[in-house]
Amino acid sequence: MGTYLVRRLLLTVPVLLGVTFIIFAMVRMIPGDPAQVIAGEQATRETVETVRRSLGLDRPLLLQYVHFLGDLLRGDMGRSTRSLRPVAQELADRFPNTIELTLAGMLVASLIGVVAGVVSATRQNRWPDTLSMVVALAGVSMPVFWLGLMLILLFSVKLGWLPPVGRGSWAQLILPALTLGAASAAILARMTRSSLLEVLRQDFITTARAKGLAQRAVIYKHALKNAMIPVVTVMGLQFGTLLSGAVLTETVFAWPGLGRLIVESILARDYPVVQGAVLLAALSFVFVNLVVDLLYSVLDPRIRYE
Amino acid sequence: MRGFPLRVLAALTVLLLAGVPAVAQKTGGSLVIAQGVDAVTLDSHLVVDAPTFTVTSHLFETLFEYTPDGKIVPHLAESYTVSSDNLVWTLKLRRGVKFHDGTPLDGEAVKFNLDRVLNPETKSTYRFLISRITKIEVVDPTTIRLTTEKPFAPMLAHLTHGAIAMQSPAAIQKHGKDYINFPTGTGPFKFKEWVRGDRLVLVRNADYWGKKAFVNEVVFKPVPEGGARVALVETGAAHAIVRVPPRDAARLAASKDVEVINTPSVRTIYIAFNQLKAPFTDLRVRQALNHAVNKESVVQHILAGVGRPSDAPISPGIFGYRPIMRYEYDPAKAKRLLAEAGHPNGFKTELYCPSGRYLNDLQVCEAVQAQLREVGVDAALKTMEWAAYLEITKKGPEESVVPMFMLGWGTVTGDADYGLYALFHSSQWTPAGQARHFYKNPKVDELLDRGRNVAAPAAREAAYKEAMDLIMKDASWLFLHAESQLTAVRKSAKGVIVHPVERVMAQQAWLD
Repeated sequence: MGTYLVRRLLLTVPVLLGVTFIIFAMVRMIPGDPAQVIAGEQATRETVETVRRSLGLDRPLLLQYVHFLGDLLRGDMGRSTRSLRPVAQELADRFPNTIELTLAGMLVASLIGVVAGVVSATRQNRWPDTLSMVVALAGVSMPVFWLGLMLILLFSVKLGWLPPVGRGSWAQLILPALTLGAASAAILARMTRSSLLEVLRQDFITTARAKGLAQRAVIYKHALKNAMIPVVTVMGLQFGTLLSGAVLTETVFAWPGLGRLIVESILARDYPVVQGAVLLAALSFVFVNLVVDLLYSVLDPRIRYE
Repeated sequence: MRGFPLRVLAALTVLLLAGVPAVAQKTGGSLVIAQGVDAVTLDSHLVVDAPTFTVTSHLFETLFEYTPDGKIVPHLAESYTVSSDNLVWTLKLRRGVKFHDGTPLDGEAVKFNLDRVLNPETKSTYRFLISRITKIEVVDPTTIRLTTEKPFAPMLAHLTHGAIAMQSPAAIQKHGKDYINFPTGTGPFKFKEWVRGDRLVLVRNADYWGKKAFVNEVVFKPVPEGGARVALVETGAAHAIVRVPPRDAARLAASKDVEVINTPSVRTIYIAFNQLKAPFTDLRVRQALNHAVNKESVVQHILAGVGRPSDAPISPGIFGYRPIMRYEYDPAKAKRLLAEAGHPNGFKTELYCPSGRYLNDLQVCEAVQAQLREVGVDAALKTMEWAAYLEITKKGPEESVVPMFMLGWGTVTGDADYGLYALFHSSQWTPAGQARHFYKNPKVDELLDRGRNVAAPAAREAAYKEAMDLIMKDASWLFLHAESQLTAVRKSAKGVIVHPVERVMAQQAWLD
């Protein structure tokens, strides 16, 4: 287990190195001159050139990359070209908010998804099954933007129960979490249903039933745990999706998260922030995958990591 | 509603006690303004965008002020004189003004600020506004003298610009690179906190030299989605929101709690013809295209009335503006002109268009495209996001590939010089300047120089009128419209002012 963990952690190094290279090259490939954007459309050429020099963007690309890597190794991600604040500070301001939203979205998705999946599977082809699968289909198909605005319209404007946008109180977390979690809930519901149905057909379930176990015990103690492995895999993937997909939800709900920061920074050609933020997102993705892999062995003791 | 009669009674009492004023302003409370984006920086000398200027104009003040009704009046300066040769400007500063950190605003402080903007290392975009100043002298603590080599009539207008605002020299020196976290001005509000992407809070300056603010706090919230902003003002979670989506304006205006304010902006939207590229080298072609587009219909249907068809290259409210002319919508005339120019069957070209930068910009371009097709001009629409767009339209005469492109220009100093010189003087061609469409008319150059170099307002106005006449007759642009700003304000928030330079001002606002 220990050596496995060390090996996995070491493997993240080349992954992240690759990410730095790709993102470094990509932000510079998109057209648009950061110096011009920073100085604004009314700036004179001298100002634009001074800005360019001060950003070091007049140096050869390879040299810029080497400097970027060198600074990164020393823990320095540079300063935002827009706000002039250290990138680390920008990320520290935003990342916890995105994690908060993602976790809440994940909670919503898992609760609704797993419960709906179990209900469907245990009442296969009866109306609760049909209903939850139709709702799931709707959940996957609904654009986040639209769903978010509809929820605001209903719960904030019409009913007045919840604050429309912003971050701070628990109440402000509910609508964005629902919006973010909806699509994932739907996917998890379908996944849970099919996985559970498969398990329910297996011999050890028949055995459990033959022992005279109650339906509840059969489902929750024996079937569900075995059905969870593919579900957890999908959850892990969904977590990544939520993390990076939070940008739309963040935009609708004016949530001060990482996704919005990345989009704003791309539009402003704020290279250092884009680089730092994407690196952070990649790091979280790698981390979540590792956690998922470790969870397998918890769910199924036959799985061992040497 | 239960407290209503009591409140009325209280208000009446105040009225009776106060006697004269018709409305009693209340102090206290926190006024929330939702904008589309967060502020970028709080170093006023480095600000370039209107939403950030909205924030900084509550913190910082300028020597002169461009008032919402279009006047230029002394502000931190109390009065001024200009020498008979129009080269030396002597400004008398207001006494007793202090920055938020207690530093006095004196001649040295003003010199420090102007020097800082002028220093290329500061990288102030708006350095060019005052770059004609060659000498800055502090005569005594309340007098400062500015010298230019040539007369520079727009001087006062340029000193109203938010990027030339006064910031505490002590704070700038003390905090260096971190000054953005400690912005220190002389304004009616002081900086309190900035939670990036969530809220920026200013607090009332109890020691303000002028008329003190009424509200305790002004909170700026960045809310990118238009629909979400509307929900904020509808529910009362915000008192004012900018950029109301035109589709929501009628519904909001019908609400008993919200008022929708339509304020003309100094931003002119146009489609420029690259005057070095055939067929736009031909005056008749440029005129034809102006006749081919129904600008009234564009404003009415695409902008839902949130704009004003242009009758000059700059908009009303700017010094020097005069209604010049409009190219009436006449497709038959357009076809005739095209035929005369040797294009009886029209031609193919490209129309570059930003997306999401200006109000319904892409939709406007699509409407123009459809109307040009009616007269046989097949303009392929090219759209890209802002940064890429700026780059492709900023090429020099040899490299430029854009035949027609939409852009907007905000004359934020309120002076025609700013709106015309940068775009129509042939010395200002890109990439060095801003004139991206390579217009050149020696007579216009001469008139714009005159407008800059003579001091008498009447003579300047005459020069600008003549210049604009030529620019319009030359059909230098496809003239479209001036934008308006739709702002929604809760009726409980009184005295919120929307400035034509796209600022929401809460300096004298109060909450009922």
